[in-house]
Amino acid sequence: MSEWDGRGLPPVAAERMRRFARTGLRTSLLTVPAAVGVQSVGFDPVGEVMGCIVEHIGWSGFGGCGYFGGIGGFGIAGGTVTSSGSVPFVGFGPYVDALYQGYDTALGRMTEEAAAMDADGVVGVRLSVSHLGSRTGAGNREFTALGTAVRARSRHRPSRVFTTDLAGQDVAKLVQAGWVPVALVYGISVAVRHDDWRTQRQASWGAGNTEVSGYTELVVHVRADARHRFDRQARSAGAQGAIVSSMSLRIGEMEPAENHRDHVAEASVFGTALVSFHRGPRAPTRSLTILPLRQK
Amino acid sequence: MTADPTAPGIPEDAMRRLAEMRPGQATSLFTSDLSVNEFLLVREAGFRPLGLVLGTSIYHVGFQLGRWSSNQELTVLSQAMYHARELAMTRMEAEADQLGAEGIVGVRLEIEFKEFGSDLAEFIAIGTAVKADEPRAPDGQPWRNNQDQPFTSDLSGQDFWTLIQAGYGPLGMVMGSCVYHVAHQRFWQVMGNIGQNIELPQFTEALYDARELAMSRMQAEAERLAAEGIVGVQLLSLGHRWGGHTTEFFAIGTAVRPLRADHVIAKPQLVLPLTDS
Repeated sequence: MSEWDGRGLPPVAAERMRRFARTGLRTSLLTVPAAVGVQSVGFDPVGEVMGCIVEHIGWSGFGGCGYFGGIGGFGIAGGTVTSSGSVPFVGFGPYVDALYQGYDTALGRMTEEAAAMDADGVVGVRLSVSHLGSRTGAGNREFTALGTAVRARSRHRPSRVFTTDLAGQDVAKLVQAGWVPVALVYGISVAVRHDDWRTQRQASWGAGNTEVSGYTELVVHVRADARHRFDRQARSAGAQGAIVSSMSLRIGEMEPAENHRDHVAEASVFGTALVSFHRGPRAPTRSLTILPLRQK
Repeated sequence: MTADPTAPGIPEDAMRRLAEMRPGQATSLFTSDLSVNEFLLVREAGFRPLGLVLGTSIYHVGFQLGRWSSNQELTVLSQAMYHARELAMTRMEAEADQLGAEGIVGVRLEIEFKEFGSDLAEFIAIGTAVKADEPRAPDGQPWRNNQDQPFTSDLSGQDFWTLIQAGYGPLGMVMGSCVYHVAHQRFWQVMGNIGQNIELPQFTEALYDARELAMSRMQAEAERLAAEGIVGVQLLSLGHRWGGHTTEFFAIGTAVRPLRADHVIAKPQLVLPLTDS
């Protein structure tokens, strides 16, 4: 097998594309309702597409909050440092950049396959990250994007292949109502905060009922930053709106040095950016009330 | 939703729209926490989503010991559970207010006790801020409630659509909380009950008391909003982390007002699905 320089599609994937071009055999990951759904609004499934990258994350950036007892640090906004801050190597900036590179590359390779199949969009995209075992070394992660490429029965072709993590049924309902997906968008941020004396007091056993303002600020900042980056991606895609499909937050503590505790939070938001193509002031939908005759 | 596969312009118009797009051009952008069904129904009910709104508070819940043999409310804990939720809710409302929203739909109110630190919990309120197409409700009143706050509702998009169709409007989410310590039985009581099937009146009474406190607090909030009623009420008993005898009773629902005199909705069509579940 020849060495691959990392540009374009890996040789095996490129071969699969050539085979598809030769035989035209169509594959799909859609469920039956999803396939019927997309076909009802004029999209035909073309083939299953995938994009994948294994990445070694060896440097997360400067560990800790940047506080060196008495010397001060890089802290902004009263002690919470986010990965989008002004100093690129604190607040786990390099780690977040690596995650972005992972997701972007996986999605990029997937859409490249879709474009090679002459498709107009990819629906039902599933993004996943898995840690590879210790045999290959710690810090290795595999980013995978998997979806079904569809082609529109239309004379017009979009300028870029659209992507969405919505299922085929949802895409069908949106298109019926005059909305079309533009791109799968996401925002990720990490923030770190030093446990100062006030935080320690508020979180101690005898503190009584009180908000722990330091931790609240940490999660508010990290979520705000992730949402901001999500908005920015949707905006730069030219979208009019975005439907959030998942939002998660992880928070944990670490001890970069003795008598020094920090808390780190990672927030992510995933969703689909939309534009409308109906011209009326209201979406052209008309709901029909039905009552299923079931027990539940 | 009725689907018409022969509707003109699908997917021709959709693809033309994508072809015309110029990435990077300034647009007004909304975000939403709704599912596709909810999004479309909220639009159909005459509301536009403005943005996902969120309020959060990480709270240290204090400590209070119930007396071993007595039924009592643990007021310190009740206050903590209520205050922290209220902090999250008001922060969410403040975000919606900044967006110029008239309401927040699909609100989720969640509590997560954290692994680090003792008695630390994150209280979080998430919803989608909306603006009505018509500035006034059908009854001529503004959509905001009598506290001049955007209305809030924990109803799903489907329930929200049905509520509006039936001529009711949401005013606000109302809640009541009561953390209650249920007495342990005394030794002679336990001994006396051996081999008998009897009611344990003190346990029954404790649960009655606790529920009553939570529900009456919720009702008081609805009265403050001058509501006609409360829909979608959930009465939960949450154990959290306090052991078997201490439980939070939490009542939550959406206070509503009538938008018009009649509340007739179209009779739904009955369907017989040929599948289970």
